[in-house]
Order: sequence, then C-alpha cells, then structure tokens
Amino acid sequence: MSLAPASDIVGTQKSRGRPLGLLLVALPVLLVFWMVIFPIISAVVTTLWQKGSDGQYGLSLRTYQFFFSDPYSLSNLWLTLWVTIVAAIILLVVCLPIALYLRFAKSRLASYVQGLSIFPLFVPSIILSFAFIRVLGPNGAFDIILNALHLPKIRTPYLTPWGPLIGLVWDHIPLTVLILLAGLGAVSDASIEAARDVGAGRGRLLWHIILPRIGNSILVALSFSVLGIFSAFTLPYVLGPAAPEMMGPFMQRTFRDLYDPDNAITQAVISFFFCIAFGLFYVRSVVKNQRAR
Amino acid sequence: MKRRDFMISASAATAGAVLLPKMAFAAANRIDWYTSSDQNIIDFWTNIIKPKFEAANPGVTINLVDASDSAGLQAIEARSLAALGTNSDPQADFFEGSEARLPAGALDKGLYVDFSKENLSNYSKLNPLANDIPQNITYRGSQVLLAFDTTKLPADKAPKTWADLVAWIKANPGQFIYNRPDKGGSGAGFVQRAVYEANGKDPSKFKVENYTADAGGKALQAGFDLLKDLAPSLMDQGAYTSGNTQSIQLLSQGAVTMIPAWSDQSLSAIKQGVLPDTTALVQLSDLGFPGGFTRNNIPVNGVNKALAIKLQDFILNEDIQSAVITELGGFPGVSWDYVSKDLHDKYAALIPTSIPVFPAGDWSKALNDGWYRNVAPNVDRSK
Repeated sequence: MSLAPASDIVGTQKSRGRPLGLLLVALPVLLVFWMVIFPIISAVVTTLWQKGSDGQYGLSLRTYQFFFSDPYSLSNLWLTLWVTIVAAIILLVVCLPIALYLRFAKSRLASYVQGLSIFPLFVPSIILSFAFIRVLGPNGAFDIILNALHLPKIRTPYLTPWGPLIGLVWDHIPLTVLILLAGLGAVSDASIEAARDVGAGRGRLLWHIILPRIGNSILVALSFSVLGIFSAFTLPYVLGPAAPEMMGPFMQRTFRDLYDPDNAITQAVISFFFCIAFGLFYVRSVVKNQRAR
Repeated sequence: MKRRDFMISASAATAGAVLLPKMAFAAANRIDWYTSSDQNIIDFWTNIIKPKFEAANPGVTINLVDASDSAGLQAIEARSLAALGTNSDPQADFFEGSEARLPAGALDKGLYVDFSKENLSNYSKLNPLANDIPQNITYRGSQVLLAFDTTKLPADKAPKTWADLVAWIKANPGQFIYNRPDKGGSGAGFVQRAVYEANGKDPSKFKVENYTADAGGKALQAGFDLLKDLAPSLMDQGAYTSGNTQSIQLLSQGAVTMIPAWSDQSLSAIKQGVLPDTTALVQLSDLGFPGGFTRNNIPVNGVNKALAIKLQDFILNEDIQSAVITELGGFPGVSWDYVSKDLHDKYAALIPTSIPVFPAGDWSKALNDGWYRNVAPNVDRSK
C-alpha cells in the first residue's frame, strides 16, 4: 500500500501544504474536543463534584458507592460484560473462516459470499429486531420449519440474554470480516507457497504463517466490535430480558424514567472506563503498526 | 440556466429564507392547535375533525402542529405562560393531550380557560368518570383491557375478575405476557391493577401528592409480591416484552393466548388485520385496569380563544364522538348514552363503570423502578 494519494491531498509544495493540512485536521480535532473530550470531562466532574447533605459542593463518591454496592446495577454490568465477551468470541469463530475463505477462494461463489457477509451492514437494527422476533421468536419461522420436520420446538432466545447476543453478532459480522480481510491482504501468496513447499499442512500454515501476520487485525476487529456491543442500545432494548438489563437500556431508563441524571451519568462513566480499556488495545496496535513502518 | 447555477441560487434562496428574521403572528380565524399525542391522533384530526369543523365554520382553519411529546407540548405551554405575563401573543390556541397542572404555575396564574364557566352546549354530556379540575376537559379516553385469542379460550370462559385472571394464568402456564411498565401503558396498567388488588382495590389511596417512601413502598411491595407469584406462569417462565406493540405481535403469532392491551390500539389492530378477527377484548368487572381520558386545555390569552372553545364543544358532538369509537378505537369523552345506540350496544361489554387512573410523578417512578428491582429479576428461568 502506498501513501502517495494521501500526501497528494495536502499538496506537493511543502511550504503551502502544511498550513492547509493543519487546517484540514483542525475540524475533526475541534469536533472531538467539543463533542467527545469535553463531555467526558464534564461527566466525570458532575459525578465526583456533588452537592452534599449540607448544601455545599464537594468531592463525593456517593453515586459510585451506590453503583458498586447495588446488586441490581452490578448484575447489569456483569450481563453487559458477559454479552460483550461471548459475542466477541463467537464473532471471531464465525468471521475468521469466512475471511480466510474470501482471501483464498478464487471462484465466483466467493463474491456472493462476500456480498452476503456485508449485507447486515445495510439493515437498520430496529428492522433486524422485529425480523428476529418473527424468525426466532416463539412460533416464528424457525419453529414452523422445525415443526414441519417433526422436530421439537426450541426454547426461543427472544427476551433472554441470547436474543441481543445473536442479534449483535449478526450485526457486527460485516465490520469484523472486512477488517480481517484487510489484514489477510498482508499475507503474501509467496510466503504461503514457500511454506507449502517445505511440507507445511493447513493447520501449521494457519498457526505459523497466517495468524502471526494478522494478529493485529484480529485485535482491531475485536476492539471495534467490543466497543459497539458494549454500548449497544436497540437490540438489547427490544430483544433482551427485562432484568438484568444491558448498560445501554439501563442508562436510558435511569435518565428518562427515574429522572436521575447523576446515577445515569455515573453508569455512563463506568461504561466509558470499560470501553477505554478495550480502546487502548486498538490504539496500542495502531501505534505499534506505525512504528513498524 | 446551468444546473450548477440553479443549485447555487436555489440553495442561496433557501439559506436566505432561513436566515431572515422570522416574525410570525397568530392569524385571525386560524386555530393554532398543538398535540402531544401519537400519529394516529394527528391523522384522526387531519382526516375527520379538521374537514368537518372547517365545513361547519366557513373561513376558519385549524393549524395542526405536532409538539411531539408532552415535554414538547409543555415547552409551547411555557411560552403561552410567559406571554401571559407580558400580554403578548402566544401563537397557540388549543392543546390536545395536555394537563392543566403543567407547566408548574399555569393553574395559579390562570393560564387556562375554566370550562365550567364557558356554557359549552355539550358540557353536561361529559362522562362523569372523566371529572377533574374544570380547566381540564376531555373528548376521548382509552383503557387497558385483556385481549385474547378466542380459538384457544372461548369468550364466555374469559376471566372477569382479578382472581379469575390469576387462576387462569396459573392454570395455563406460558400463555400470558405483559410488557415492562415503563415501556408501554398496557403493561403499566397491569402492574398498577396488581397494586390496587393488593391494597383493597381502592384507587383512591393513590394520589399524586401522597407518596412516601415508607408507606408507598409497602403498598407497592404488596403488589409486587402478587406479580412475583405470577412470574413462573408467564410466557417463558417470566419474560416481559419491551412495549405494547411487541405484546400484540406475540398474541398475533399465537405465542400467547392473552395479553393486556390498550383498547384503542387493539381495536385498530383488529381493524387492520394485525390481530385476527378471532381476537376478543374483555374488561375486569371487579375493578377495571387503569387507563385515562385525554385532556385538552385552552389558554386564556390565545388570539382565537372563542373559536378554540367552539372547537372543543364541536368535538363533543355525537358525530365526532361516534368517530372516536369507530375510527380511532377510543372511548367517547361523553357518557355512552350520548353516542348512537348501535355503538352503545356493540361495545356494551367494554363500557367501564370506573376507569381508575394511577397517579403520575413519584408513584409511577417508584412503581417502575420497584418493578425492575423486585419483579423482573428471575432467579432461575432455566427450569
């Protein structure tokens, strides 16, 4: 991959190009500060600097103490972490074979498979939710097929933690496949043929040649989907159980129904710190990548 | 003109129109109408009330504006309240789906018309169940009912009291589901009915201003205990849908036999074929599920106040009140004696003798959160 087109945008003349480049970058940087960094700081300050019982503002960990001592809030957090981790594992198991197939297959069929695996990208999650109820819900299409084959009904995943889990995995397949596929582009045919020539089997090929080259992509793909799943709202809202809730619906309910912005923001800050941990993986791998260049 | 030039001039013109200082005044003979209700109500006004009223009053128009939700409507009302202080034009004449006690201070400052003093020709016909403060006036109501599948449960065997309902749910495990109380009124109505049941079936114990964490918490807990007892017999051993529509979907898929549902929503679902013809509705006779009447308010400082009052009187006519039942699937704001006899007889089974209304504010808040913490968590749903 060449960097030439990107440097062309800035202009070939260095003296004129630099301020223009900074100007182009200024907008996103300002936006990030205004719409992301500032709200984060403001949220953290709001939750820590609160009015005490004496009416004076002061440093207080009250809302955090409540969250971490409230079994209901904690069970919501555990559910969110469980869904996120299980979904990430399933995504990897499902998407890696698809990506490997798409990388090495040369047939026409491969392009159809690619189209199909990208398809969920174009389905809004609210539509997905109601389609899910009709297909996997009780007496849905899946039950009807099972019934036609004289098989027993399944216990529907609708309104259990598996509901949003299945929906979220389906929703995140395209992004994961695309990122893995991009990573697999770095594996050259020559290195694979060389390994084959010295007698490497498929398993060894995957383990010693392919995986080491795409470790970074796997990390990036996982951190992207983890960030998306952790903060998911629509699918857990429509498909998930009433309790425990995932953090997205829980925050919204605390804010809108209980008129309790302090606790809602506290939940948001806690979610944010979990996401930051995953985000650091991504940033680290990007930095490592750039240093390698 | 080249397309590019056209685009440039067109966008410049649009930008100019937006940027010009906007000076709007309420027009004479144009009733500025705002609502907090859903699209089906706006459609009802657009297609039925507006043409009829404008035909009956030549030269008068109704300007229908969707204020989106009650927070949106209150923002417009707050503007009227501010205009009252400065004697300026509020540009609003009629609020549908409103509440005279809001925004705070509106009642004290006399923002709204007192209908008992306005000599409405239909005022005496109003359903006494809808009685409230005279600044609130209604024209339609809705209540939560039980909707059920008559192919699985014959209509004559449908439960008529809370005790029958509980017995039926326990005898038919997995055939009943209600939605989370904060996600839709039908589930909220069911939960509120359980709380009434546990407190001597006396809705008068629950008033907007009398919630206390101690006594209120106990009253609610008794209701939650009834619901916890029911949970293992619900669909999937205690699943709760996330809205009115999802419950109706499960009923239409035949996944459950009975759900609590809004009267207007289920009647229109049956009419549209979303629910099959074999769906029947029943109300409990010992104490109905809560519901309510939609309130309208008219600000005293609207330019078209007299016309707005005329409009309120107009929508209480038999013609519109019958349309509320047939077109909207709602309940009339007037007593059932003042709608056509055919309709009266057709809906006889559903005519409520009382429509309890659960208080908003602290009670609802405690009810919703308490339900999530006490009823919703299932220790073991795998059995």
